[in-house]
Amino acid sequence: MDLTFLIASAVKVLIVLGFVLLGVPLIVWMERKVIGHMQDRIGPQRVGPFGLLQTIADGIKLFFKEDIIPSGADRVVFIIAPALPVITAFLALAVVPFGDTVHIAGHAIPLQVTDVNIALLWILGTTSMGVYGIVLGGWASNSKYPLLGGLRSSAQMISYELAQGISLVSVIVFTGTLSLASIVQQQEHLWFILYPTLFLSFVIYLLCGIAETNRAPFDLAEAETELVAGFHTEFSSMKFALYFLAEYANMMVVSGIAISVFFGGWRGPFLPPVVWFLIKLSLFLFFYVWLRATFPRLRYDQLMAFGWKVLLPASLLNLVITALWVGLTG
Amino acid sequence: MLEPILFTLFSIIAIVFAFNVIFRRNAVHCALHLVGVLLSLSGMFVLLNAPFIAAIQILIYAGAIMVLFLFVVMLLNVKGDAALLTPGGWKGFGFFFALIMFVELLYVVLSQGGTEGTPAQTIALPPGFGSPAEIGRILYSTWLFPFEVTSILLLIAVIGAVVLAKRKFA
Repeated sequence: MDLTFLIASAVKVLIVLGFVLLGVPLIVWMERKVIGHMQDRIGPQRVGPFGLLQTIADGIKLFFKEDIIPSGADRVVFIIAPALPVITAFLALAVVPFGDTVHIAGHAIPLQVTDVNIALLWILGTTSMGVYGIVLGGWASNSKYPLLGGLRSSAQMISYELAQGISLVSVIVFTGTLSLASIVQQQEHLWFILYPTLFLSFVIYLLCGIAETNRAPFDLAEAETELVAGFHTEFSSMKFALYFLAEYANMMVVSGIAISVFFGGWRGPFLPPVVWFLIKLSLFLFFYVWLRATFPRLRYDQLMAFGWKVLLPASLLNLVITALWVGLTG
Repeated sequence: MLEPILFTLFSIIAIVFAFNVIFRRNAVHCALHLVGVLLSLSGMFVLLNAPFIAAIQILIYAGAIMVLFLFVVMLLNVKGDAALLTPGGWKGFGFFFALIMFVELLYVVLSQGGTEGTPAQTIALPPGFGSPAEIGRILYSTWLFPFEVTSILLLIAVIGAVVLAKRKFA
């Protein structure tokens, strides 16, 4: 473990951290602007050019808001809970490759915080840990709507994790590796999305990813019409901001993994790899926003039935077909 | 160099959290400390060159099973009023067996490695040790029968749970 490795790792960690922290206000701005236009409004436009600084201003406002802890709340858990989903999102981002290996002063530095040989399992593990932030936030508030929202969303996340994991297993069977760097490496000539069985995995993965991040139309955790704001009803100030940050950081995680596994990662012609990664990431995030503007929220029983009776069998069937295909073609 | 430090760190965390699992009054706090124990155990698996087991430990135990534990604890709203360290017949019984277990474990640990006060001899690991591929190969060749028996056991448990849940309590 030499010094250059340490420095390179530290710089990469800072880059990813800074990118997410600066990227999230931009995504929120993009979301408000796009949904505004889709609903025939103009969205934020007062603060800064095109309203670009609106979300920054909102962030500063949240920072200075009074931090309220409900009197019946479990104080320690209430304080820890909002940090958990943010931590797990950053941990998951650590294995996403965002560019090719670069050579700086004779050192080969892969543009990825760390390439572990169990990357896909690592990602599934961290996302499964992210459930705690929500279920504990709901419980620690000592209030009925947050508790219901927290339980609901953790049931949802556990149910969809299964199908998500199995859809990624098809990819593992196909590639024979769990490392995201080598999965990207194998897509040098053809993106995995273009293989029929892996296309189905991608569809299942994406649907589960949307459910995992609690985004519309699967945002049952914060169904305003029935649960006030779900698990984060009682959270104010930076605690609320952390949940907000976690939601968008998790969208980046899901998109980053979908890009690396199915869309060739940072690969693309002409432009530098990092730019390609950012283009693909923006398209994915736009897709998220587009979905939110298009679909109404599902009912809870529909959501669970869809997860268990459609996505899970479909992902299992897909796994069997992929395994047969790999076994027969070699 | 780094390994003993990390091992000590993970052990201390695991032990402190394990004590908290037992001695905390609030059942939810107990469950959370158990998650901490499982996470530090997963760190130890990484130190033991078993990254796959470590990941599975997080994914299955910390990520899935403990969430369900939490669910049950939260929904039942268990009140942890009874103090643990009070004298009582059944508790004394429990402590007695815990003590026997502890002595037994201590004997096993001390008789295996630490007799000379020297660390156990390091064995060169076979290539691919602890990797998902190697574990899969062993699981589907040498240990195929136990593996399949376990899967049947789990299937029975799943069917049993469904049958129990579906039964009409008239």
